[in-house]
Amino acid sequence: MDALTSILPFKQLLPQKLSYDKQETFLKLFILASAGILAFATRLFSVLRYESVIHEFDPYFNYRTTKFLTDEGFYSFHNWFDDRAWYPLGRIIGGTIYPGLMVTSAALYHALRWFHITIDIRNVCVFLAPLFSSFTVIVTYLLTKELRNTSAGLVAACLISIVPGYISRSVAGSYDNEGIAIFCMLLTYYLWIKAIKTGSIMWSASCALAYFYMVSSWGGYVFLINLIPLHVLALMFTGHFSHRIYVSYSTFYIIGTILSMQISFVGFQPVQSSEHMLAFGTFGLCQLFSFVEYVKSKLTQTQFDALFSFALVTVGFALSIAGLVLWASGKIAPWTGRFYALLDPSYAKNHIPIIASVSEHQPTAWSSFFFDFELLVFMFPVGIYYCFKELTDANIFIIIYGMTSIYFAGVMVRLMLVLAPVMCVLSGIGISSILATYMRNLDASQPKKPAGTASAGSRSRRTDDSSTYPRKNEIAFGVICLMSFFLITYVFHCTWVTSEAYSSPSIVLSARGGDGSRYIFDDFREAYWWLRYNTDENAKVMSWWDYGYQITAMANRTILVDNNTWNNTHISRVGQAMSSTEDKAYEIMRELDVDYVLVIFGGLIGYSSDDINKFLWMVRIGGSTDKGAHIKESDYFTPQGEFRVDKEGSPTLLNCLMYKLSYYRFGETYTEQDKPPGYDRTRSVEIGNKNFELEKLEEAYTTEHWLVRIYKVKKEENRGQS
Amino acid sequence: MMRLSFFCIFATIVFVSGQDQDGLINSNVERTLDLVSHLPKEIISVTIENRGTKATRYYDYYVEPQHVNNVAYVGAIVKGKNNDDQGNLLIKQETTDKTKGAVYRIALPNDLRAGQTIALEIEVAHINALRLYPAEITQIERQLVLYKANPYYYSRYTTQKQKTTVTLPTDRAESYTQTPKPVAKSEQTITYGPYENVAALTRSEITLHYENNNPFLTVSNLNRWIEVSHWGNVAVEETIDMYHSGAKLKGPFSRLDFQRRPDSLSAVKTFKTSLPASARDIYYRDEIGNVSTSHVKEMQDQVEVEIRPRFPLFGGWRTHYMLGYNVPSYQYLFNKGNQYVLKMRLVDHVYDDQLLEQVTIRIVLPEHSRNIEFYPPPYGVERLPNEKHYTYLDTVGRPVVVITKRNVLFQHIQDFEIHYTFDKFMLFNEPMLLVGPLFGLFCLVIILVRLNFSISRNEGSEARMRVQAVWDQVVENNLKRTGFYQKIDDALNAYKANKDLKGYNEQRKKIENELKTVQQDLAGLQAKVKADSADSAEKIAELQRLDTQQREIQQVLSGLAEKLVGNKLPKPAYLTQEEAARIRLREINARISAIINQY
Repeated sequence: MDALTSILPFKQLLPQKLSYDKQETFLKLFILASAGILAFATRLFSVLRYESVIHEFDPYFNYRTTKFLTDEGFYSFHNWFDDRAWYPLGRIIGGTIYPGLMVTSAALYHALRWFHITIDIRNVCVFLAPLFSSFTVIVTYLLTKELRNTSAGLVAACLISIVPGYISRSVAGSYDNEGIAIFCMLLTYYLWIKAIKTGSIMWSASCALAYFYMVSSWGGYVFLINLIPLHVLALMFTGHFSHRIYVSYSTFYIIGTILSMQISFVGFQPVQSSEHMLAFGTFGLCQLFSFVEYVKSKLTQTQFDALFSFALVTVGFALSIAGLVLWASGKIAPWTGRFYALLDPSYAKNHIPIIASVSEHQPTAWSSFFFDFELLVFMFPVGIYYCFKELTDANIFIIIYGMTSIYFAGVMVRLMLVLAPVMCVLSGIGISSILATYMRNLDASQPKKPAGTASAGSRSRRTDDSSTYPRKNEIAFGVICLMSFFLITYVFHCTWVTSEAYSSPSIVLSARGGDGSRYIFDDFREAYWWLRYNTDENAKVMSWWDYGYQITAMANRTILVDNNTWNNTHISRVGQAMSSTEDKAYEIMRELDVDYVLVIFGGLIGYSSDDINKFLWMVRIGGSTDKGAHIKESDYFTPQGEFRVDKEGSPTLLNCLMYKLSYYRFGETYTEQDKPPGYDRTRSVEIGNKNFELEKLEEAYTTEHWLVRIYKVKKEENRGQS
Repeated sequence: MMRLSFFCIFATIVFVSGQDQDGLINSNVERTLDLVSHLPKEIISVTIENRGTKATRYYDYYVEPQHVNNVAYVGAIVKGKNNDDQGNLLIKQETTDKTKGAVYRIALPNDLRAGQTIALEIEVAHINALRLYPAEITQIERQLVLYKANPYYYSRYTTQKQKTTVTLPTDRAESYTQTPKPVAKSEQTITYGPYENVAALTRSEITLHYENNNPFLTVSNLNRWIEVSHWGNVAVEETIDMYHSGAKLKGPFSRLDFQRRPDSLSAVKTFKTSLPASARDIYYRDEIGNVSTSHVKEMQDQVEVEIRPRFPLFGGWRTHYMLGYNVPSYQYLFNKGNQYVLKMRLVDHVYDDQLLEQVTIRIVLPEHSRNIEFYPPPYGVERLPNEKHYTYLDTVGRPVVVITKRNVLFQHIQDFEIHYTFDKFMLFNEPMLLVGPLFGLFCLVIILVRLNFSISRNEGSEARMRVQAVWDQVVENNLKRTGFYQKIDDALNAYKANKDLKGYNEQRKKIENELKTVQQDLAGLQAKVKADSADSAEKIAELQRLDTQQREIQQVLSGLAEKLVGNKLPKPAYLTQEEAARIRLREINARISAIINQY
């Protein structure tokens, strides 16, 4: 703390009358409050630039469910069977989601309403993630303070307030589980560290409660329930195991597991699935370890050895038998695909196209580490170094957390989010340690300006002895300048990334006109609004699953598949319809009772993530089930193995439903000067199949920039008329 | 039954003759049927002559039985006068007669005595009078409508001379009834008549089938929300459900065709809404966010918002949006003491030729408003029971006046008034609600921070605080001390210049005495602090020692100066010695400030 007050340059600005305790409190509060406000403010780019609107896809589902929860109450939410999605199967929403996010915003909403603060639920949803980011800043401070000291905590808090890796999932409007889950995760870690430091049941129970909140809000809790046992194991192996750890872990595991089973989506998984087995095993091991210690203290060495070898054989045998029986009877659930994908990055690509098709499940490119963390990439090892230098129970935890999460982040882009906090914590430790070391040298070599308090002076006297190299002051000055420079560039980089990469709502596209004016493409909402008001209330809309959540939330129409992707066969059926010829597709559409088909087409304005560019995934997923076995990916390529939509393209592609729906009457349109009609600006080719008519479908609506095209499936003609 | 109707007729005759208006006749009627928009508008210029014997105050306007429900507005003015000077004449709707139709009783401005004439201009707006024929068209087809009307002026008085002029939107009419003669068509207008001496309540029917591609926009439901704030703002928000009431779109909608032909006939792409000139913070949105396509143009007497729905509206298509804005309250809210009057438009302009089928207006008055009286504009509205609205910082809720009306047209844009009582000091209710809890919070924090709630005594921190207090005094004393030394120095310099030894000595004595008190104070502080911190006491002792040294050097300096003045010392020697003394002085000062700065 003294170091903190001494390193701060604006000591003179503080009220002179304050005692040092108060000055320190004041500074801490000031820095934390600024970091919290900054964390909130930097996430508001999209609101200021566009409007207070929900982003992307999943947040729309969360928004819709939150709205339902606030309108209908918790019990009807819990029992909600949604017939608007996955037609004709439906989806039991109450039992298949993590309700933490919705309950949080509903609680916030009702609390505000109680005070007659009539804020719209949409705004609660939009600003929830930034709000929780501010909380995260505080929790990061607490966590790092427990791990190291106050100054490291403050540095880490400032770092996390603007780290792009976290901002990417928590900008205003990004109303997703991750937004609050990171807060819950860090809170759990903080309480866990507190628990193992004190060995108190109160802290362990609080940790279990935080864990419950985490479980209720994000599927990523599995990481947490593996990390904590891993920490306990590591402590055992390194000989750090103590009664404190025993008490904390036993309390945490028992309460945490029972609580987590109350979430209906989790159910009995914590005692059945393999993902939770590490926690269970560690719990058992803890008991054994303690029991053995106890027995050891009562027996002589020879007695104990005999007993130990006997017990090892019998218990090991019994356990493996029990394990085999459970495995065979299916009580232990096989590991799910996403989990395999974590351990083996190539697993998903080879086995489950639907997992591989999501861009955020792809392995991370090395450049995105720098993009998302910048300075932290370099300061992370420094932090680890300082942690190793002073290896305490808590430091072992943060080292394990850092190591595992950096592996997972490398496997899946999405898990960069889990890495972001630990990056900040470790870098915070690194930076503050470096600064503290050199700042003291700076003080020591300038006796004419006596530094801070008497005790800081005495400390600098102590460091005098250890550092005896020449030009200490100059080197210290250089290092501090360098660090300041890095920190300043970090701020600029983070702001730039946030503003450029992570703050577009994706529901509204914008482009710059030739004269610098901003042009807005609001086609998605145009189409959804049209669907909402000008189709039958019970109309079923078929589209690729990406747009499912948005259609249900904004257009309020029944859809066949959505972003939940829980039923691969059903998605595959839609993929088959899209990749078949019109006649074949019509049969599938009649079978699925489809009224409208919605496709995204970017060829007119050059929007690259349209359905044609995603089309190969539809083919792959469509062909991945028995019913679609006739759909082969190779049919959609040219003999040279290219995916082309021009004249050279494969005839199967040029006659499939997706192609026809995307390019219907596009052949008559001029898109660019000096180009023939039907020139696709996304793929920069003239399309191959131009003048065709649709027989079974008719154009129902096309948005202003042709981005969304909606077709109506014609009813079968009355018998005898034709 | 027969007897009953006889009785009715008899009763009517008695009733009517009781009014004694039989003497009136319509000496000349010129009727214009404006069919340009989707709301047929009838303007009747009628010259009334009193051929009876008694004066009369009323003129009855009759609506044919089949059109009774179609008439949304009847207004009348006296013709010939300057239109600005006069308001509309008072019109009262009498009971509707099944056979004769609805009666609107127009109150004449003054008694019409026997033999006198008066010219009135009656304006009648019809809704739902056009039948779409065909009812469904494709995207590129023109929209045709069928309109049935009476070629004669339907009146309970005999009409001497009359003429009906029909104005069509285009010169294309599919067909129109050629009887009763004479009928003449020239471009957009068709003239029926003149006819002479038409008996009272004569009915006939003509049918017009013509092209009308003007926007058939209809607002099915409009909720207008007016929130009055006494802090100077009136917020208005309109939630609008709108549909295209023209011929329904048949078959596909092709964006390509729509883009190729910019004048896509009956579709509504955009329309203009006029807001009050002082409107600001205008927003145009719906449940899924801003509608990013609109333009605002500020004009002299209004703000014009060009509204583009998210998609063009074809026949049968619906949309929904919200339009809101703020206006300063000084234009609408007037007060005298605690009595307030809110005077603003009950409904406002949505688009030209508007038809708002159902309008609900909610006027939110400030919390604690009392004695609310609502004065409607001069047409019938329905007032529903008051509601309560709770929003920021409300405790008992704001009273909400709820008004509904069906079939609101452009002509209904008129002012209403609400009178209410509001105690001015209640204006500070809400700020106090904010200030109070914050003040309480701060007080609580102050109490928590300033007072010691710990049960045990923390000797260490108390000692530290005492030491701190002592050091504060030391710092003060040190400031005084340096000040005195500065004065001595000044005096010395003055002495060197004017060589007044006596004055100098006097001054020095005085200052040294004061320095002595400072020194005594410091000694006192030293004794005080000794119990708590030996270290501090030592430091103060050190300070005292340094001070003594400084005084000695000062003495030396003064001695040197005396010598110099007494010419006992050559100047260069004096300068070197002085320099040495000054260096020592600076060293002492640095050490003193080092000690002081540690605290």
